[in-house]
Amino acid sequence: MLQRFLDPATLASISGLDLVAKTVVDGFVAGLHRSPDFGFSQEFAEYRAYSQGDDLRHVDWNVFARTERCYLKRYRGETNTQLMVLLDTSASMAYGSHAVNKLDYARFAAASLAYLANAQRDAAGLIVFDEKVVNYVPPSTRQGQLFRLLHAIEGARAGTRTDFSSPFAYFQNFLRRRGLAVVLSDFYEDPDVIIRTVEPLRYKGNELILFHVLDPQELAPVFRQPALLVDMEERTTMEVSPEYARTEYRQKIDAHVAALREKARAAGIDYFLMNTGRPLDEGLREYLTVRQGRM
Amino acid sequence: MGFLTPWFLAGAAAIGLPVWLHLLRRHRSTPLPFSSLRFFERRTQSSVRHRRLRYLLLFALRTLVIALLVLAFANPFIRRQGGAAAGNRRLVVAAIDESFSMRYTGRLERAKQEAARVVAGIGGGDRGQVLAFGSRVRTMTDATPDVSVLQAGVRAVEAGDSRGSYAELARALRSMGQTAGVPVEAHVFSDMQKSSLPPNFADLSLPGSVRLVTHPVTAERVANVTVESVRAPRRVYDQRKVGVEATVANFGAAAETRRAALVLNGREIESHNVEIPAGGRAVVEFANLEAPFGMRRCEVKLSPADGLPEDDLFHFSVERAEPRPALFVEEPNHGRGLLYFRAALEASAQSAFRLEPVNAGQTANLNPAKYAFVVLSDVAAVPAAFEEALKRYVRGGGAVLVALGRMGASRGRVPVSGEAIVEARYFAREAERFETASWLDPAHPALAKSSRWDGVRFYQAVKVEPAGAQVAARLSGGTPLLIDRKMGEGRVLVFASTFDNISNDLPLDAAFVPFVEQTARYLGRLEDGPAGDTVDSHYELGEGRGGAAAEVLGPDAKRLLSLDEAARARSVPLAHAGFYEVKHPNERRELVAVNVDRRESDLDVIPAETLALWGNAPGNPAAGGGVAAEEPRPVELGWYVLVAVLALVLAESWLGNRHLAVEREPEQEAARKEAA
Repeated sequence: MLQRFLDPATLASISGLDLVAKTVVDGFVAGLHRSPDFGFSQEFAEYRAYSQGDDLRHVDWNVFARTERCYLKRYRGETNTQLMVLLDTSASMAYGSHAVNKLDYARFAAASLAYLANAQRDAAGLIVFDEKVVNYVPPSTRQGQLFRLLHAIEGARAGTRTDFSSPFAYFQNFLRRRGLAVVLSDFYEDPDVIIRTVEPLRYKGNELILFHVLDPQELAPVFRQPALLVDMEERTTMEVSPEYARTEYRQKIDAHVAALREKARAAGIDYFLMNTGRPLDEGLREYLTVRQGRM
Repeated sequence: MGFLTPWFLAGAAAIGLPVWLHLLRRHRSTPLPFSSLRFFERRTQSSVRHRRLRYLLLFALRTLVIALLVLAFANPFIRRQGGAAAGNRRLVVAAIDESFSMRYTGRLERAKQEAARVVAGIGGGDRGQVLAFGSRVRTMTDATPDVSVLQAGVRAVEAGDSRGSYAELARALRSMGQTAGVPVEAHVFSDMQKSSLPPNFADLSLPGSVRLVTHPVTAERVANVTVESVRAPRRVYDQRKVGVEATVANFGAAAETRRAALVLNGREIESHNVEIPAGGRAVVEFANLEAPFGMRRCEVKLSPADGLPEDDLFHFSVERAEPRPALFVEEPNHGRGLLYFRAALEASAQSAFRLEPVNAGQTANLNPAKYAFVVLSDVAAVPAAFEEALKRYVRGGGAVLVALGRMGASRGRVPVSGEAIVEARYFAREAERFETASWLDPAHPALAKSSRWDGVRFYQAVKVEPAGAQVAARLSGGTPLLIDRKMGEGRVLVFASTFDNISNDLPLDAAFVPFVEQTARYLGRLEDGPAGDTVDSHYELGEGRGGAAAEVLGPDAKRLLSLDEAARARSVPLAHAGFYEVKHPNERRELVAVNVDRRESDLDVIPAETLALWGNAPGNPAAGGGVAAEEPRPVELGWYVLVAVLALVLAESWLGNRHLAVEREPEQEAARKEAA
């Protein structure tokens, strides 16, 4: 029943990103079967050998007293990881053929991820970028982190054009802990360039998920008559016939998506195509699947 | 090929619309923001040209639809030879004269025998049709190759009382020649009565597709004597015997002697022998017609009868009645108006009305319906109940004469009719001293016999605003003197002065008596109509108002109108000779005597050369010749073109829908994918 609240058009009518995120996540969670990887109980999960840098507060001193070995006691609710959301706010993300444009959809997704991470005590951070880094919220589990993240997401506005190399290099500087990185973008770039740019994150042991946000009209454009299109980033114009949009364009965009998916898989990167006309839960399910793999 | 309405061809300019839409209109594209043009290519810019080529068939269809639509409105036609299209077939028309003169001994029988012989010979794909004609043409059968049907049609023809008209027959044949589509061979079986010819010979002309064959049933002129007319009073109001004058005409070549008898209700009351000169007339006078009360059927009858006995009889009606009461309302102590008015009314030869005077104050309980008319002679005021009763009386068909003087001018408006009174003028106090009646409408019934009022002086008059009513007389200063206003079925006549000799000296003038007499006859509806009508005329029933039904009994005492027709009919045709009894909604009864048009009694025949000329009229084939060269007949193509337009519109809709379906396809495909 709550599934209907995940519809983008419904979410667009909700003011307040925190409420959107709560609606999405609660609705999504309520629709799932019980999973041992969720919840906030103090149920024992495992012992892990202490390694340098681990928080001493989690050391089980009783075990240390008996065995003189340092073990960390971990609970299911405390299997935290670090989530970094990279939100593309290039001009092309402002495109939308219905009530929710791509940027809004990506903001809903980012807010929902942040809310989900916060609920699981994961440290969550945010980088908002177009051709440069626009905003950065370092990952943290401190009190109020969720609101800082939501505030940053709320303030994200469509900017100029996309340039992956600059913000990703910047992001690598901040990435000290291994974690999960989620890139929300329309990826209007050559797949090779995209993979080449994001692949270094993977080398440092991060799990990387590419959320490819596209509008239905971008995937299968429908024009009743020849249309004069204006590129939202380059501001160039071009007259397009309905026949071309119906045939060759679709082949090209399908090939682009297929190439990006293939190359991401080859590089060990998760890829998910987010159609802004579809409910948000599919993206969240993809995130949780990857996160489960990390535990 | 031609066009019946070529002006519609101007609509061809509308072809420019699809030309502009498809070929000339500049394609304007609204810039549409799109996220990235990375996957689009420059070569798609020729899309407009592509579109033009693609919709060329649609353009052609739309242009053709408009062109054919214009053509359909222009109503094109082609000329086609009717005979060529229909082979050698023809339509044989047997037109039998059923006018009154065919009642002459043996004439109709001979005509029917001859017609039966002609229709019996119809065959070989020909069709026949039987017509009967008198003053109008009746279709006895449809066009059919069945000889037995045609024979039955011939047998059904009976002589009537109407007058013959060859012009009506020619008009019907002209119409058949234009619509039959095949050559028409018209056989006319008639006594060829000369008096049935139209005044204008051109009215007999026939088109080239009609071949005329005449079959005269008699060749020589025969003698006939008839009662041509009767002069008798229509209504009698006193007990004196009245005189009747009958004119007897002899249409033969030898003098004739007849006995003329006056018959009242089937009883002969007086007779005279009369000698009528050859081709002349004689007058018979009956002096002893003393009709009892009521409507009486009278006849003047000749004996012995001749070959056409029906015209030896002339019907007329006489009504003996008591003088009808008329109400004269006056102010107390103003008796001079009554004195003059009554004296004038009684002075007329036929005193049809009896005046009943009453004071204005005593009218409250009076019912005006029983009076022939009501006179309000300079009354200051009448009780409201009586005025309302008068209004109802007038709307129901009554009549009121209002004389306005010093007393009447004290009111702001004329009683009953309600016209505004502008002022009361006393010319004796002004410079001109008096005014005269400068203009009289001689066509108004009230002034028909008194059109000269030159010597009458008017010292006082009340100026009334006519407000759309008819002004029948004016004074020299322009003041309306006599105003006639119709209200419902009745009327109100306003005389802007009085009937005494104070306001004017009209009562002392010679014009007063005929004016009062005519006014009384006009208001009392005593028209000086003829003693009877002729066959083929119409009797006016008045205005059909729905609900008020007049009942009309024919000469055979049967009702001529159904209840519904009686409520709506304004007139009734008089098709037969005899007495018609009419009962009006207001209980008034009338006996209408109807006689045959006496021109039918003149049995002189059309000269042979005139008959030959009719057969050989310009455009008409020779009477003895074969089938004539027909006039090419115009065949209209408008309907065919409209059918073609309909087919093209369907094709255009299908094609246009197909193009739209191509546009819709991607949406449906996307929806299918999503559902999957």
